[in-house]
Amino acid sequence: MAKLIRTKTEWEGINHEELAIIEGESPPPWPPGKQFETIGREVPAVDSAERVTGQALYTSDIQLPGMLHARILRSPYPHARIKRMETDRAASLPGVRAIISHLNVPAISWLNQSTILEPIVRFQGDEVAAVAADDEETANDALDLIDVEYENLPFVIDAEKALQVGAPRIYAQGNLVKGKPRIYVRGDTRRSFREADVIVEETFRTQTALHNCLEPHGAVASWDSQGLTVWESTQSIYRVQEDLAEAFQIPPNQIRVICQYMGGGFGSKQYSGKWAILAALLSRQTGRPVRLMLDRQEENLAAGNRSPTVQHLKIGARRDGMLTAIELSSVASIGAYGWSVLAVEGPVQVMYACPNIRTEVRSVYTNTGPARSFRGPGYVEGAFPLESLMDQLADELQMDPLELRLKNYARFDQTTGLDYSAKHLDQCYRKGAEMIGWNSGRRTAQDRGGRKVGLGMASQVWGGGGGPPAYAWVRVNKDGTVEVITGSQDIGTGVKTVFAQIAAEEFGLRPEQIIVHLGDTAKGPYDPVSWGSMTVSSVGPAIRQAAIDARNQLCGIAAEYLGLPAGDVNLRGGSIYIKGRSQQHMTISEIAEEIGEFTILGKGSREPNRTDIDVRTFGAQFAEVEVDTSTGEVLVSRVATVHDIGRVINPLGGRNQVEGAVVQGIGYALTEGRVIDERSGVVLNANLEDYQVPTALDFGDIDQAFINQPDNRSNNLGAKGLGEPAMIPTSPAIANAIARATGIRFLSIPITRNKIIEGLQLPAGARRVVP
Amino acid sequence: MKNFEHVDALSLSEAISLLEYPGQSLAIAGGTDLLTQMKSRIVSPERIVNLKTIPELNAIRPNDRDGLRIGALRTLSDLAHDQIIRSRYPALYQAIASAATRQIRNQGTIGGNLLQGPRCWYYRGRFNCWLKGGETCYARDGENSHHAIFSDGPCYMVHPSDMAPVLLALGASIETIGPNGRRTMPLEQMYQAPHEGDRRPVTLQPQEIICSIMVPALAGNTRGIYLKAMDRRAWAFALVSVALQISLEGDQVKDARMVLGGVAPRPYPVPQAAAALRGKRIDEGLINETVDLAVTGARPLQRNKYKVPLTREMVKKALRELIGLL
Repeated sequence: MAKLIRTKTEWEGINHEELAIIEGESPPPWPPGKQFETIGREVPAVDSAERVTGQALYTSDIQLPGMLHARILRSPYPHARIKRMETDRAASLPGVRAIISHLNVPAISWLNQSTILEPIVRFQGDEVAAVAADDEETANDALDLIDVEYENLPFVIDAEKALQVGAPRIYAQGNLVKGKPRIYVRGDTRRSFREADVIVEETFRTQTALHNCLEPHGAVASWDSQGLTVWESTQSIYRVQEDLAEAFQIPPNQIRVICQYMGGGFGSKQYSGKWAILAALLSRQTGRPVRLMLDRQEENLAAGNRSPTVQHLKIGARRDGMLTAIELSSVASIGAYGWSVLAVEGPVQVMYACPNIRTEVRSVYTNTGPARSFRGPGYVEGAFPLESLMDQLADELQMDPLELRLKNYARFDQTTGLDYSAKHLDQCYRKGAEMIGWNSGRRTAQDRGGRKVGLGMASQVWGGGGGPPAYAWVRVNKDGTVEVITGSQDIGTGVKTVFAQIAAEEFGLRPEQIIVHLGDTAKGPYDPVSWGSMTVSSVGPAIRQAAIDARNQLCGIAAEYLGLPAGDVNLRGGSIYIKGRSQQHMTISEIAEEIGEFTILGKGSREPNRTDIDVRTFGAQFAEVEVDTSTGEVLVSRVATVHDIGRVINPLGGRNQVEGAVVQGIGYALTEGRVIDERSGVVLNANLEDYQVPTALDFGDIDQAFINQPDNRSNNLGAKGLGEPAMIPTSPAIANAIARATGIRFLSIPITRNKIIEGLQLPAGARRVVP
Repeated sequence: MKNFEHVDALSLSEAISLLEYPGQSLAIAGGTDLLTQMKSRIVSPERIVNLKTIPELNAIRPNDRDGLRIGALRTLSDLAHDQIIRSRYPALYQAIASAATRQIRNQGTIGGNLLQGPRCWYYRGRFNCWLKGGETCYARDGENSHHAIFSDGPCYMVHPSDMAPVLLALGASIETIGPNGRRTMPLEQMYQAPHEGDRRPVTLQPQEIICSIMVPALAGNTRGIYLKAMDRRAWAFALVSVALQISLEGDQVKDARMVLGGVAPRPYPVPQAAAALRGKRIDEGLINETVDLAVTGARPLQRNKYKVPLTREMVKKALRELIGLL
C-alpha cells in the first residue's frame, strides 16, 4: 500500500528534504557473503544486438505517415532585436507547410522569463523561426527565404566583462544570476591564513566544453484525438511530459513521451528543449506529424555546453601539511539561457578536512549558447583548480601529493556534520598508487625515448545515491516470462541491462530472459530524470522490491495449489521447487496449465533515504603522460582509476562508463574548447573538425578497479552511481602529470600544444607557469 | 544545400564543355570538400560535373619506369595501398597516412586533395572575408592560432593539403586539360598566395582540370620524410608539417628540397634551408643552421607564435630522423 514519507534527496551534491510516496516495505540489503547468479558479473548489454543491427529505433529514425520535416532559423548575431520579418517568399516555396515565428506563436514561457520565440535574440544560434516542409532540404531552402532585419545590440560573451559596470544587459534585472553571489562560510579563513605557514594561490580558467552526444537533440511530435505523442531523445520522458503539459496547458496524461533508445545525453537532455515545443506547435498547425532534429552545428551552438569559469583559489597549510583554510571565488558564464548557479564550490567544501572555508560563486548571463549540466557539473570545473593547487602546495611543502591528500582525509561531511554512508577513498588511493606504480620512484620526470614522462593524480567526490520517488513493476505472465516495467530511460549508460540483472537475480533467471520496458510514459510508472548518476540507485531498488513482491506472490499461489505451507516452496531458474525435494519442480507455464489465465504484478518503489547520513561516491585517478619537450606533443599513456561506488552490479557496463568518462576528461584537459570570435560574438569551431574530441589514438591504457563494497546504508542494492564521478578527477590528474613531466604548471585548460610550446619557451629555473 | 544539376561527364572534352556554363559550374571528384562547402553555402553551384565517370582519369595507375604517373581521381586509399609508393616514396606514404580519416581517404582523390579549399574558420564560417570577396581578413587580428606565419596578407589562411608539400619536395608536375588544350607545369606553379589581382590559391584557369600528377623517378640514394604536428593524433589538419626529400652521394647531400605545410597560404618551399644542406654532411651544426634558415622571415600573428619554435623543432626532427635513416 502506498504511503507518504519524508526523505532526503541529493542532486549534484546539494541536499534537499522532500515528501515522497512509497510502496510497501523495502527488502533488506542482500546478506554479506551471498552467492550471486548475475549481480556483480560481467553482462553484455541486453540490447546490443538490436542496437548494432539497426533495429533499435532512435528518435531520428521515427517515420510516421504524412510526417513533415522541420528546421530552425537561428540568429547570426549574439544580441539583436528583430525589427522586421518577412516570411511570404518562404511560405510560397512549394512543399513548405508552416512557418512559425514570434509573429504567430503563443507566448509559451521559456527560461529566465523569456518566451519560446521572441523579437529578440540573445546568442548566435538563438531560435528565430521554424519551418515545416515535406522534406528537410525544402525546409532548409525556406530558411534562406525568410527575410529578417536585425538591429544589432551591444553584446558580451565574457563572464567577467558581463559583471562590469555598464556591461550590456542580457536581461533587465542584470547579468548576475539571482542578483548576488552564493557565499558559504565555515570557520574563519582570514585569521587562519594569517596563521598558515604556507599559502598558495592562483587564478585558474576552464573552457566552454561541449557534450557532443552521438545522437543529436530533437523530437518528433504528433497530435491526435487522444492528445500529443512526442518521441524525444531525452534523459527524462516524465520531465518532457511535464514541460510540454505546461507549455500547451493540457493535462500531463494527455501527453505521451517515448524514448526507448538514446545515443547519449551527458546532462544536455535533462529538460525538454525548444525543439519539442516547436515541433508540437508545427504539428498542431499542420495536423501532421513533425520531425525536428538538430544538425551538428546546431548541437554545438544551441544544445547546451559546460560553463567556462574563472576561479581564484587560495589554500593555507601548516608546515606539516595540515590544511588551515581554503578560499574560492569563482565566476561562471551560463550563457543566455542557463538556469542555475553552477556548483563549482562542491569539491572545495568537502574534499579535504579543513575547518576554515569560504566560497563565493557567481553565475553570469552572457550572449552565448545555453549552459546545461554536463557530466559532473560544477565538480569537474571545480576539481581542476583544487587538485592542481593541492599539487602546488605539495611541491611547496616538499611532500608527496598523495601523502598530502591522505593527511587531510575528510572522515565526515563537513558541510552537514553527518557521517558518510560509506567512504573508502583511502583504499582508492592505495590501490590506484599500486596500479600506476606511484611508489616506484617515478614521481620525478623520467625520459622515455626522448619524451619526458610524468605521473599525476587527483581525487573525486560526487553524489549518486539517488532516492525516491521512483517506481517499478514486475509482471509474471502465464508462459513464465518476467517483465520489468519502468518509466525510466536508458540514455546509453546500460541501465536496461542492470535492471534485467536485478530482476533476474531475484527470479533465478538469466538477464537476457527478462524483458525490460522503459522509455514510454504510457507504459511504465513514474521514474525520475536520468541525471546525477542516480538511475541505478533510484530505480534499481524499486525493481528489486517489485521482483521480490512478484516472486512471493507466485510462490504463495504455487504453495496453495500444492497444499503446502507458503515457506515450503521457492523459485529457481523459472521453476517452483518444493523444499527438501530438489528433484521435483514445476515450471511457471505448468502451473498456468493447471490454473488457467493469470497475470501477477509485483510493485516496488525506492525506499526513503536516511536523514542521519550523507551518501556520496569517491574515487582517485592517476595519469601518466609522455611529453615531447621539443614539439609539445602530449600523450596520456596510462590512466589508472579506482572508484568507490558501493556495489558494482555490472562491471562490464561500469568499465564502459569509466572509459567514456576518462576519454571525455582527456579531451577536456588537452584539446576541447569552444572558440568565439570576440569582435562578432560568433562561434568559430561549431563542428567536429575544429572542436577536437579525442580519437582512439589519443589515449593509452585505462586500467580500472572498483572498491566494490556494498553501501548498504544507502539503498537495498548497496549500489551508487558512476557515470559522472569518473570524469571529475581526469583533467587535474593529467595537468599534474604534465607539471611533473615538464616542470610547467598550466593554470588553464585545455592545455593545447600552443600552450605547451609557450611554456617550454619559458626560461628554466624560473617559476614556470602558463596562465 | 541549394538545388543543382548533376551531370556525369563521359570524357574530358565533355567535362570541359559542361564546365563552360553561364551559371556557376563546378567539377566534383570525391566531393569530400566540395559537398561540405555547398552544405555550408560557401559555394552554391548551379551545376556540378562528375569526373568519376571519365575513364581516362580513373585508368591511370602508378608505374615506376619513369617515375610515378598518378591519375587525378585515384583515391588516397588507392595510393596508400600501392607497393611502389610504400617502398620508394616513404614521405608520400606518410603524408597519405596522416591525412584526414580512413573514410575520407576512401573517398577523397589526390587531385581533390591538391585543390582543396582553405580550412580557415572565418572562410568556412559566415564571415564575408577577403578570400570570399569581402574587405577584411578576420583572422589577422582575430582567432589566428591556426593561421599563417609566412604571409604578407591580405589573406592569412594556410594551405591544408598534406600531399602538396611532399609532391613539391619530390619535384612533381601536373598535366591539365582545359579549353585551351593540354599543358604540363610544375605543381609548384599551380599554387599562389591569394592576392588582390587573383584571390584564388591556385593558378589554374576556370574549367581547367588536373588529369595526372607526375613524380620524377628517384635516382641514386634518396631519402624522404613527412612529419606533421597536429592538435590530436589523427583526423586533424597540420599545425605545421615538413616535407623533406634528399639525395646523397656518399655521406654528403647531393640535392635537397624542403617544403613546409600549415604555415603559409600555399605549400611553402624553403629553398634557402634546402640549399644549406647541399654538398654537406648532415650533423648537429648543420641542422641548427638549416633550422634557422627554415624560419627566416617568419612573422607570426598574435596567437600563433608557437608555430615558429614548432617549425624549428619539426625541421630538426625531420633532419635527425633522416640521419637515423642514413
